[in-house]
Amino acid sequence: MWPALSPSFRRCVTAFGGFVLCAGLVLAGCERRPEPQPDILVEHEVTPDPPRVGPATVTLRVSDAAGQPVSGARISLEGNMSHAGMRPVFGEATELEPGRYQSALEFTMGGDWVVLVRLTLPDGRKIERELNVKGVKSG
Amino acid sequence: MSDRSDGPSSAPPRRPAPPPAVDLLRWPGVGRLLRWRHARTLLQIPLFAVAVLMIAHGWFGPSLAPKNLATTLTWVHFRGALVLVLLLAGNFFCMACPFMLPRNLARRFIRPRRNWPRFLRNKWLSLALFVLILFAYELFDLWASPWWTAWLIALYFLGALAVDGVFKHASFCKFVCPLGQFNFVASTVSPLEVKVRDLDVCTSCRTKDCIRGRREQPRSLVVLQRGCELALFQPRKVGNLDCTFCLDCVQACPHDNVGILSRMPAEELTVDPLRSGVGIFSRRRDLSALAVVFTFAALLNAFGMVSPVYALQGWLAGILHVQREAPVLGVIFVLALIVEPVLLLGAAGWLTVKWGGGRGALLPTVVRYSYALIPLGFGVWLGHYGFHFLTGLYTFIPVTQSALAGAAGWPILGEPLWSLTGLPERMVYPVELGLLGLGLLGSLLLTYRLAADDSATHPRRVFAAWAALCILLWASALWLLSQPMEMRGTFLGG
Repeated sequence: MWPALSPSFRRCVTAFGGFVLCAGLVLAGCERRPEPQPDILVEHEVTPDPPRVGPATVTLRVSDAAGQPVSGARISLEGNMSHAGMRPVFGEATELEPGRYQSALEFTMGGDWVVLVRLTLPDGRKIERELNVKGVKSG
Repeated sequence: MSDRSDGPSSAPPRRPAPPPAVDLLRWPGVGRLLRWRHARTLLQIPLFAVAVLMIAHGWFGPSLAPKNLATTLTWVHFRGALVLVLLLAGNFFCMACPFMLPRNLARRFIRPRRNWPRFLRNKWLSLALFVLILFAYELFDLWASPWWTAWLIALYFLGALAVDGVFKHASFCKFVCPLGQFNFVASTVSPLEVKVRDLDVCTSCRTKDCIRGRREQPRSLVVLQRGCELALFQPRKVGNLDCTFCLDCVQACPHDNVGILSRMPAEELTVDPLRSGVGIFSRRRDLSALAVVFTFAALLNAFGMVSPVYALQGWLAGILHVQREAPVLGVIFVLALIVEPVLLLGAAGWLTVKWGGGRGALLPTVVRYSYALIPLGFGVWLGHYGFHFLTGLYTFIPVTQSALAGAAGWPILGEPLWSLTGLPERMVYPVELGLLGLGLLGSLLLTYRLAADDSATHPRRVFAAWAALCILLWASALWLLSQPMEMRGTFLGG
């Protein structure tokens, strides 16, 4: 015989589900994420290509919807491995020419990296982009 | 195993005469806390709350694994703390298991009437689930996916509720839970064990509450105190296998005769008596398979994080003419968990039979010696998970800061300190080597003991076969841990 669910049990299950939902809403509902800014295009290039463990250079081209370079942005980079628990690496980009920025970054371990690019535009808007740098070689 | 020649015995196994050095339940403070009726619930509540937060953050939080509590706590902290506690103490994670909290709550309202099917009363199902989780870990890159990690935790809760909502006793823990089986096997080398203090007290005991539990009236359905739900009768319980440290037996014993006692780690693997709720090790092929998979999966799991695995995957993909990862991974799993153990243990077993004077057949010999690999396997798990735990020790701090800042809208605990990670690799590597060496030493001692029992004339020859196997596996692990780590989610064209 299959067990019958008592009303009390249903209440418990509902309360459990509610708890999970509330915790999720608390943690996620207020999670502040920079809004996607489709009018800003960020293209990237990583050298050496293919990437290897050690010093690397990340070059970014930032342009607006009309394709015009965006000059005067402040850009910081944070590189993380796809696995939790690894040391992140950081970099600050400098503008080489209008809309073209460059930052040094050190890949400390082989594998897949995700580089978070945080831009503060000249008009004060803040945007964030994720760049996937896959398959950084160990050797 | 030394008792083998006497055959299985129904008499309680003899215990060493001198009292154990440690009885955790008699320690001031800790002992009193653990003896408290609600101690287990007290330990489960914080882990349950953390598990719920992990699920919520995994589903709704940042998608980047290093920024998410689900992936950080599961794959860095939980696994590492688990193996270290197993090494230094015992199966305390099963004791504090958060998955059992909703299950225990549900058991207040529903009374399962079914017994676990007889044909599933073994470790084959849980062994298959253990391999399935390891396979899913590689296939879906669980380490990199908060969303999938959260689903894994949620499914664990649902699985425990569903199984124990339908079937009586602790069916989920004993026959289904893959994590529990890992803990059971690893806890055979733990220094603490829940066991009887004085067997003479048990001999005179009439009620056997430790297994039967206590009811309001003899035939009443109202249970005042559960007995062991995993069918471990304390006076005949040997070792930690299948013991969740739930301490129901401690609560049930009317004579206060069950403690958490110290012992020689892995000593239980040198004897082969009839074990209550378990049977005889040398006749349990499912347990033997679990021990073998436990050992070889430790190597496979570590192999998955170094660069040569991608070369192997690429080579296999070329041979098989496939572009999908699943069939390639499937071949690697079959090779590592079936073909390799069959060949290596088969060869060592064959030499044992040949050099040992022809005593015993090949399969029973392999089954019996397979348990001796557990310390080595545990050493590899310790080295691998210990590495992640120690090198990422402090990463939960910025992730928690970030999660709370996201939830509250302002940095309650300050701006996340993302540069906080853990101990430097140069400090952790010697620890890894030490743990690996400890595992090898344990396995060598066990195999020597078995060889000495098996062959009075040529124990060294028999030992040499198994020692060679242990050293080969140890050298493989050493090579793996010395490889530069390359944590990749993509392998073809990635």
